[in-house]
Amino acid sequence: MAEILLSEAEKAFIHHGVQDDLRCDGRTRLDYRPIILETGLVSNASGSSRLRLANSDVLVGVKVELASPLSEKPLEGRLEFFVDCSANATPEFEGRGGEDLANEICRFLQMSYMSGDTINLAELSVLTGQQCWVLYVDILILECGGNLYDTVSLAVKSALYTTQIPSIKVATMDGDQPELELSEDPYDTKRLNTQNVPCLVTLMKIGNHYLVDPTPEEECCSSSGVVVAVSGTKKITAVRKIGSGSLHPESLVSMLKTASEVGTVVNKILMTKLLEEERAGKTQKVGFMR
Amino acid sequence: MDMLTSKIFLRKTKRGKVLKVVREHYLRDDLWCGSDLCKKCNQENSEVLDDAPISSSTLCACPHYVVVDTNVVLHQIDVLESPAWKNVIVLQTVLEETRKRSTNNFKKLKEIMATRKDSFYVFVNEHHKDTYVERKPGESANDRNDRAIRKACSWYQTHLEESQQGREKKKKVQIILLTQDFKNREQALKEGIPAYRVDEYVKSLKDFPDLQEKLAASHSDDNAENREPLFPEHWAPTRIMTGIKSGKLLQGIFHCSRENFLEGSVSVEGQDKSILLQGHASLNRAVDGDIVAVELLPEDKWTSPSGIVLEDQEDQDPGDQIEKEEALLTNSTKGKDLQPTGKIVGIIRRKWRQYCGILLPSVLAEGTRHLFVPAERKIPKIRIETRQAATLSSQKIIVAIDSWPRTSRYPLGHFVRALGNIGDKDTENEVLLLEHDVPHHSFPETVLACLPSMPWMISQEEVNCREDLRNLDICSVDPPGCTDIDDALHFRELSPNLYEIGVHIADVSHFVRPDTALDKEAANRGTTVYLVDRRIDMVPELLSSNLCSLRPDQERLAFSVIWEVTPNAEIKKTRFTKSVIRSRRAYTYAEAQCSIDDPLQQNELAKSLRGLNKLAKIMKKNRMEKGALQLSSPEIRFEVSTETNDPIDVISKPMLDTNSMVEEFMLLANISVAEHIFKHFPECAVLRRHPVPPESNFEPFLKAGKTQGFTLDVSSNKSLAASLDAAVKPDNVYMNTMLRILATRCMMQAVYFSSGTVAQVDFYHYGLAAPIYTHFTSPIRRYADLLVHRLLAVAISADVTYAELLDRKCVQQLCNNLNYRHKMSQYAQRSSVALHTHLFFRHRVQDEDAYVLSVRQNALQVLIPKYGLEGSIYLKEKDEDSKSAFIYNPDEPSQTCDNITIRTFDRIVVQVSLDSKYVQHQKIAVHLVQPQIAGLSVEPIKTVNVSEPTPKKLKSGN
Repeated sequence: MAEILLSEAEKAFIHHGVQDDLRCDGRTRLDYRPIILETGLVSNASGSSRLRLANSDVLVGVKVELASPLSEKPLEGRLEFFVDCSANATPEFEGRGGEDLANEICRFLQMSYMSGDTINLAELSVLTGQQCWVLYVDILILECGGNLYDTVSLAVKSALYTTQIPSIKVATMDGDQPELELSEDPYDTKRLNTQNVPCLVTLMKIGNHYLVDPTPEEECCSSSGVVVAVSGTKKITAVRKIGSGSLHPESLVSMLKTASEVGTVVNKILMTKLLEEERAGKTQKVGFMR
Repeated sequence: MDMLTSKIFLRKTKRGKVLKVVREHYLRDDLWCGSDLCKKCNQENSEVLDDAPISSSTLCACPHYVVVDTNVVLHQIDVLESPAWKNVIVLQTVLEETRKRSTNNFKKLKEIMATRKDSFYVFVNEHHKDTYVERKPGESANDRNDRAIRKACSWYQTHLEESQQGREKKKKVQIILLTQDFKNREQALKEGIPAYRVDEYVKSLKDFPDLQEKLAASHSDDNAENREPLFPEHWAPTRIMTGIKSGKLLQGIFHCSRENFLEGSVSVEGQDKSILLQGHASLNRAVDGDIVAVELLPEDKWTSPSGIVLEDQEDQDPGDQIEKEEALLTNSTKGKDLQPTGKIVGIIRRKWRQYCGILLPSVLAEGTRHLFVPAERKIPKIRIETRQAATLSSQKIIVAIDSWPRTSRYPLGHFVRALGNIGDKDTENEVLLLEHDVPHHSFPETVLACLPSMPWMISQEEVNCREDLRNLDICSVDPPGCTDIDDALHFRELSPNLYEIGVHIADVSHFVRPDTALDKEAANRGTTVYLVDRRIDMVPELLSSNLCSLRPDQERLAFSVIWEVTPNAEIKKTRFTKSVIRSRRAYTYAEAQCSIDDPLQQNELAKSLRGLNKLAKIMKKNRMEKGALQLSSPEIRFEVSTETNDPIDVISKPMLDTNSMVEEFMLLANISVAEHIFKHFPECAVLRRHPVPPESNFEPFLKAGKTQGFTLDVSSNKSLAASLDAAVKPDNVYMNTMLRILATRCMMQAVYFSSGTVAQVDFYHYGLAAPIYTHFTSPIRRYADLLVHRLLAVAISADVTYAELLDRKCVQQLCNNLNYRHKMSQYAQRSSVALHTHLFFRHRVQDEDAYVLSVRQNALQVLIPKYGLEGSIYLKEKDEDSKSAFIYNPDEPSQTCDNITIRTFDRIVVQVSLDSKYVQHQKIAVHLVQPQIAGLSVEPIKTVNVSEPTPKKLKSGN
């Protein structure tokens, strides 16, 4: 990730701030920065969202496609994640520079969605063993302002929330080939239940304390931390340690506990905001023009 | 209001993917209403809609403009043609819906609007900022369009209201909506738009009382989009497989009938009678050649092939509907000659290829969905999507089938490429080569690299290891113009009671070595294909017409078979040798015949020809006694104009003694070689067999014989030959030939095979009555002969062997390809003749003698011997009630009208011409001249050249 050059004095300043539960931007340790969210931006996609957390900016599009299910899971559809780190975010992403980070995020997302509690993949099945929906989740990282994991997960959840899956029915069988009939009404779509889709919470350890939503400067000061995937039901579906430093088991346990609490709150707030936006109905899209 | 909106809809692609399509949709505020009375719109004067419209309608007394709903255009288009309609507003919504639902009606509506510009005004409501409506959730496309129409109506109302505020109420122009849809009318009335049914409105037009007769019977608004499956579904492969295993289903190759597109048959291996299929549902989307699974119907539903000749409608696009077929099929003669009847339940393997053909002229040229008519009659029309219909309509094109869904009347395909203009000889040649899968590209570099370099001489070492026969008087006898001479003969007296005869075959195997690029190319091509005006060589021309060809007075390598025979044609000794020869002369058949017949010619060559001829006659007699068949198929030759390359005359190929003389010695050589290679290679000898046809094949032949009062014995080839010889009628000389033609059609196809794959009893060659046979004598034009040459060379230790030659599986594979290529080349040759017959009749109409080949329920199949041409005379015109009522007697079979009866083999006179009604799709038309039957026969014309165009530019070649 983008490395920032900090002097020892600056680092010490951040350290002391965290110790006193007052960070450089005035937050306490468990405060998030302001979030701006807009959905339905990409009209070509089945679902989309753009989420901006302070200076981190992510655009997510979900495309649904018909495919045959995996042979080991004939009853389920699937999700495929793809992360693209735009070179707009930082010059380091140029060429294949962002690939490692992209793969890391991709893999962790896949892992956190693996648990059966998060999303009911059976809803994506069209015809057992033959046809299912595959949701291609394309994540475009436009700007890195720290705490990418959280930003991405919130954006993905919002995009999935708005995803419209065309309703399709098996009209006739011909030979072994099903003849699928697409509903003629473009509004005749179904939505996934995204209530339990996990949010990722990054906890960074600085000194003896840990904090959420680190800025790039704070990330710089920390040697270790955890990313925790917390589903809507307070469950932890995946955990990943980041950074080169080590964590004491005791502090790890307490970090997980905090993460699950924070995650649940974030989840709840996101869902209410999404609902609010949906209720407001069609409004002028803002997009990137502000 | 935002002037940019987007239309979002979902679409399923051909591959089954679901696409979300987003189209930007721009709205405008400068679309005028088109009314003269309007003061708001910034339009010019003299608008379509009158300031004070007058209508004779009693239903709606006040002045009004009429808005028509889509269903009015769809169902009452004929009414709209009347001049009664004035001040009509056609909404864009209506136009687009019509276009989608019925291209025919769309075209008609366009025509009406074009001719009556002063009465119909198109209002582009979909792009007007005030009348555009977006589809609501849960609303069907239909409802949305109805709403759009109502919205446009109410917009007009308020829009016009503002301009005519000063008028008194009775003079105010109103908008009325005409619709057939009950719901739409209800809704419109609720919204305050006067709405009427079109029929009540038309009836109220008191100035046009006749118009109501044009009203179509009122349709309750049916959502015309018929997406109901037209065909039964195919079973799942596993179900088919279990069905076949259990014997419930049969597997076989589907053949479509040439005469009736709704009929086909499936030949099941190991079953004598093929299974009959009738009707769209039974055929169930099978295309000729597919391997299909068939379910037999219960025996009480079995029928026999219908006697009628049926073609898929020529010139129109019926859309995705299946025509009523009962009428087409019920006529089939029930009760007798029942054939196992079944229905196709699944396709095991599609044998789709690419098809040549033309586009059907479409009613809507700028549309993208068109019908393609394949050149091959057995293939159904194919629905393709193309945007270049206008350019393609005059061209021959290639199309491939992609799928045949249950909901589609025709298979769906796509355009592959264009070949060239229709009627162009080069294009047509290309078509028939492609259509018959004849490899005709020029030889690649790698192949040409295998050729010997010129100038080429026979080296001394080569001469040393061969027998030197340059001293013998060898000559060749071939058709005129032959450049690939692959056989030559010699004859000499060793003693008064012992003759030596030799057959010398071009030694192609010397040049075409195994496992070279040249060999592979030749093996793939399999055979040389002779078209009327072109020859597609199996080996490059340098070999075929020069180095291998046994040209006169040139030293050539040969493979010789030399016999010692007694004057009674008894063979005493046979030997095979590689040799060097020098042919003294290349005779044509006619020249050789002259030399034999002319007693003045006493040179060595003439003498040996006479000797050969004498022996050949004896040999032929012996062969006939053994039961060899003399069959007949009409063969013709075209005289081709040297300048234009167009055929100018047709002559039948004459049969001379010398033809059969050469044939006789070739047969002898082939049989001798077959015996020899089989002795040496019992497992992998390349042989040719002609299977005994199953008894059932002879049915049409026996039936035809019966009508003429002959009992034909088909129990063996010998008895068949005898009964054919006996079946002669003095008053109808051609009858015997016709019988022989029919007999030929009952035969099986002769095939090459590897001796290890077939039991020895099955080696029999039925037509030649030979227990063993192969092809040895034409290696320049047949690859099988080349293989035989190699085998024989190994057998006499003149050459070395190689692995593939001795592997019976490899040999069998080669044979399969050769059989296929051979069959295809024959078809191609036939098509080439047919093509030239077409060209020949382009500017001609001729009366010719013809013979009835078979009598059908609604047609006569006739053969015109002069052109070897077959055609159908339809006895009833498709639509009109025929004045000439023919009565069909299926027992005889015969057709009787008044006192004239036409039976099989009857001689009639027909008029042959080229039917150019459809410039795209010309075909030979045959009309009856004699006997004269009112309403059917045409006036005789004696060889008149109609409209022979003055040759404009002969320079252009062809």
